[in-house]
Amino acid sequence: MDCREFHESHLAFVDDTLAGVELVRMQMHLNECDACSRHDATIRRSLMLFRNLPRIEPSADFSKKLEMKLREVKLAEAAGNHRSNFGFKAGVTIASAVMLAYIGISLRQVDTPQDIVLPPVVATATTSEISTGGPGPEMIAAAPAGIPIWTAALFAEQTPSHFASIQLVSSTR
Amino acid sequence: MAIIARKQAVQQGANVREQLRQMDDSGVVTAFLGGEERAFSELVDRYQTRLLNFIYRTIGDREKAEDLVQEVFIRVYRHLHRFDRSKKFSTWAYTIASNLAKNELRNRSRNPLVLFQTVQKNWQEDDRPLQFEDSTSRPDDMYRKRHLREIVEESVAKLPEHHRNVFILRELEGKSYEEIAEITDCNLGTVKSRLNRARNSFAEIVAPYMD
Repeated sequence: MDCREFHESHLAFVDDTLAGVELVRMQMHLNECDACSRHDATIRRSLMLFRNLPRIEPSADFSKKLEMKLREVKLAEAAGNHRSNFGFKAGVTIASAVMLAYIGISLRQVDTPQDIVLPPVVATATTSEISTGGPGPEMIAAAPAGIPIWTAALFAEQTPSHFASIQLVSSTR
Repeated sequence: MAIIARKQAVQQGANVREQLRQMDDSGVVTAFLGGEERAFSELVDRYQTRLLNFIYRTIGDREKAEDLVQEVFIRVYRHLHRFDRSKKFSTWAYTIASNLAKNELRNRSRNPLVLFQTVQKNWQEDDRPLQFEDSTSRPDDMYRKRHLREIVEESVAKLPEHHRNVFILRELEGKSYEEIAEITDCNLGTVKSRLNRARNSFAEIVAPYMD
């Protein structure tokens, strides 16, 4: 063991918390090294001086003073509890009143008839697909070409019919 | 009849106090929380001197130390219901005391008119604890011992606050490293390092006066 190691473990050495092997190594170093031995002795002696300092006792009126202070604390706490109880009761009363008022207003609103507002209906249709209801292009083309009317009407029946697609648009959009 | 009832009440009170004295801290705390007001007096009896010495050695002012110990007990009284009973009561009480002492030193550093050494020198002779001296000693011995005691006290005061705190908790109050770590809100490594430094510094200051 070298001196650095001795100093590092000295705290535990003084407090007697070293493991057996370590303790023996420390003691062996103490026997070999004068400087570390002196350091150890100085630390132990100074600690002994400190530990032997006289202990002071509380003054004679310590208990009386503390009792008075505690009485004040108890009174303050009792007053605080009273105040907080009063505050709690007031809070409950106010909350009840608010709740009753809200229920009353809600009931009145239920009794009075109201206009139902529905979302507007919007119809959209693509112009290209809207059927005009008049003669189709086949019929128009057939007339000057001399095709008899009944065949043109037949053609017209076969053409697909398109209606305006209706879409409901919500008012919220 | 009334006298007999009073005697019985006194006897009962004495029994309760005796029972409380037999309990450990945890039992006393439980009794207090269960409504036994006398349990608080038991806690005061157990800790007043220890806390007074701890605070006094930390701040160096006896009168202020007494005020702070009273403050510790008032805080204990007000907040005991919030105390985590899985922990040691003594650690909690010392934590409160340590924080109050720290605040006191902080306030004092803001107001440099009151210094540690000044406070100690302003003691009246009667206030000085005399146990360090042996009345059978020769006058020069008594002087030497008193002088040495003053030097020891001044040497402690010279330690940096966070070193002094750890040093007092360990050397005077005999707290374990773990307890000190909890009281000072530091990790174990910091406690050991501070204690080691405090011991070395203290020995260095006192050494010239020891021979």
